[in-house]
Amino acid sequence: MPEYKGMKQAVRASEEDLRKIHMIPVPDDQKADEALKYLDEMRKKFRSFVTAMESCVKCGLCAENCHTYLGTRDPNNIPAGRADLVRKIYRRYFTPEGRWFGKLVGAEDISLDVIEEWYTYFYQCNECRRCAVVCPFGLDTCEVTMVMRQILHWLGMVPKLHAHVGHAMELTGNHTGLPKPGLVDTLEFLSEEIKDEFGVDVPFPVDKPDSDILYIPSSADFLLNPYTLMGAAMFFHYIGANWTIPSTMAEAGNFGLLFDQQATQRGNVMRLLDAAEKLGVKKIVWGECGHGWRAAKMYIPTLADRPVRWPITHLHDETSYYVQTGQLKLDPGKNNRPVTLHDPCNYGRACGLAENLRITLNACVPDFREMTLNREKNFCCGGGSAILFDDPEMYQLRIKFSQKKADQVRETGVGNNGDGVLCAPCSICKAQLYPMVEEHKLGVEVKGLIDLLGRALVWN
Amino acid sequence: MTFFIGQVLPYVTVVIFTLGILYRLWRWAMARIVHNITLSPFPQSNAQVAGIYAGEIVLFRNVFLFDKGLWIGAWPMHVALGSVIGGHVVGIYFLGKQFTYIGLSEHLSEQMSALLGTVFGLIMFAGLLYLLYRRLAIDSVRKISVPGDYLHLLLLLGIVSVGNFMRLFPAYGLEYGPAREYITGLVTLHPVPIPDNPLFIIHFLLVQVLLIVFPFSKLMHLFGMFANRWIMNRVYLDPAPGLPGVDLSKGVPVVRAVSEGGVTSAGV
Amino acid sequence: MPTMQVGNVTIELDEDGFIVDPDLWSEELAKVFATSEGISELTDDHWKVINYLRDYYKQFQIAPMIRKLCKETGCSLKYIYELFPSGPAKGACKLAGLPKPTGCV
Repeated sequence: MPEYKGMKQAVRASEEDLRKIHMIPVPDDQKADEALKYLDEMRKKFRSFVTAMESCVKCGLCAENCHTYLGTRDPNNIPAGRADLVRKIYRRYFTPEGRWFGKLVGAEDISLDVIEEWYTYFYQCNECRRCAVVCPFGLDTCEVTMVMRQILHWLGMVPKLHAHVGHAMELTGNHTGLPKPGLVDTLEFLSEEIKDEFGVDVPFPVDKPDSDILYIPSSADFLLNPYTLMGAAMFFHYIGANWTIPSTMAEAGNFGLLFDQQATQRGNVMRLLDAAEKLGVKKIVWGECGHGWRAAKMYIPTLADRPVRWPITHLHDETSYYVQTGQLKLDPGKNNRPVTLHDPCNYGRACGLAENLRITLNACVPDFREMTLNREKNFCCGGGSAILFDDPEMYQLRIKFSQKKADQVRETGVGNNGDGVLCAPCSICKAQLYPMVEEHKLGVEVKGLIDLLGRALVWN
Repeated sequence: MTFFIGQVLPYVTVVIFTLGILYRLWRWAMARIVHNITLSPFPQSNAQVAGIYAGEIVLFRNVFLFDKGLWIGAWPMHVALGSVIGGHVVGIYFLGKQFTYIGLSEHLSEQMSALLGTVFGLIMFAGLLYLLYRRLAIDSVRKISVPGDYLHLLLLLGIVSVGNFMRLFPAYGLEYGPAREYITGLVTLHPVPIPDNPLFIIHFLLVQVLLIVFPFSKLMHLFGMFANRWIMNRVYLDPAPGLPGVDLSKGVPVVRAVSEGGVTSAGV
Repeated sequence: MPTMQVGNVTIELDEDGFIVDPDLWSEELAKVFATSEGISELTDDHWKVINYLRDYYKQFQIAPMIRKLCKETGCSLKYIYELFPSGPAKGACKLAGLPKPTGCV
């Protein structure tokens, strides 16, 4: 079990893993100096980081509003406390008051212990931005976490999971490391499944030239979420769209956002633009992936190194449009189970995608029950920013992080008869919630939103 | 000593306060808004953006929604603080006769001025005490507090206590007249000796300490709020929905194709 | 990095106990893994799942979709959990010598 002076940590990428993502780790005795250099660079670059460092009044409002603190009661998981882990260093080296008054203003000298604290706690933040929504000033601890994860990456401190994903993306164009033949095999299998279950012939066009629409699925769908892929294909086929999935970019996620917003994240953006250009598409539609949608919607314009010619929309901005204009024939009776909706944090808080989910969902199910505290006030599933570590210690932490979500689901009562549905239209949420609904015995099945729409479509 | 506090230090204070804030704001301005990190709620017009700012500044909307226990202390304290600052400026300038402009007699105006000053002073004192208690009593807040967080509250409490004492016990207080004479001297760069009132001197000194500390402390949240909301709350307009090459005006294509007995769509 | 000894071969494992080089897999290794996973005996059904995973991996360098695994082996997901208590990914794939899946899984 990786541990540093009593702090449980995520399994770290080895030197070999790091070299595969083009990173040379910094030796321990040089880490403190290098960290200060990187911190100086980041503070001069990101205003959101500087305002978070210099304007927090420590009112503590964020504490009871952060699910990681609610689940663990660890003061370093209070958003303001988490930011303090770096604020004390920032004060000491980059502000006059910290240089002159030190401890009085909470400043502290840098050391390897502090850097290990960073690795521990900035990988216990789900980057859900609930603290930013509730903060009186809108200070965003997610920005602090992102800056610190970047610095940790440059120091060579990255969780194995994130490093492996970065490498798999480079090799295959998706996070799970799915080569094209495997991808096509899975899609052919799903085509047969649709035929068997819904009685319609629905193809999955891959790399089809001159398509109108480029659909970007989450690669986790190929292993875990069959109905998400099936639902999307059925929707596109139903409306007669000329669509395709690019084998070189079968990935809605972008882990660069979560550990390296420079080389890794930009590389993935370039891959997408290459695919869109090659297949001659007119519009890019994003699949069910929360952080990936934020990365696509909000970061592509500032990361692309050439003009982006294609409008990029989310699948559910499109489904809700066709639902609202009455162009789909849907039978909610086909999803005759109580359903509640988990708002993925990146949809609701970072991308303004909340109402549209409800428009689509309400048309697809007869019994939809809102959670108390929803939309931008929703609590994270506990897996946000891919904290999907599954060694036993970190897994226990994930259970604690999902406590608040479990309480919310229970309150809706959808699982009372053991046949409820927890709709969570995001791959990380799904990966986190599949085991968590069992751990907390919620009596619900986790499903995507397009899964429900696919099932509700009336074909004749 | 009183010469230094009364006729020299104020100028030092003003210089440090002004340059300090400019230094801080310059540092913020030098860093950029690198990516679009707009945050919910997503305003669709600048009027809505202004609405968010107004709600937060005037009512502390977020604090009210998410932590009423904090709001009960923070909102009245800040409203009282604003009123007290405004009251000092207006009261000293008009010698307490400002309310004659809304039709009160001079006597009534002075009484009104004294009453409002007393009430807001007491509200502020109570609010600060409550915030100090809260910082000590609530586990999560105490754990993220550093000595500086307590010192700010104690400094403000000191200023307000002395001010309130002078207001409540006029024998120890200072009339508007001498105060205006002294301040006018400072402002016109012809400083005159500070009124010989120990409490006033302490009050005035503590305020100067506060102003000197201001740019180097979390008091910068006054500006930080605007700087940060400028990044977070801005208009973002989504691209229009509707998929290219899709025409459902004649009914659903797949159903059409089946009924016509044709192949439904291109394959892999 | 941890290693384990199977017969006279030393096999490297990653932190989660998955083998690093799938080519070093042997039936012996599967049996050793089974013991550490708390599986008392590898039955025909165990081998059916393991062999399917290995064949699929050889052909596509990736684990199959869980739904496909269930369908092709005729084992329900529940039954797979009975066979491999750690589940299809962390249990069955490990015994079959597949590398640990990455991403949001």
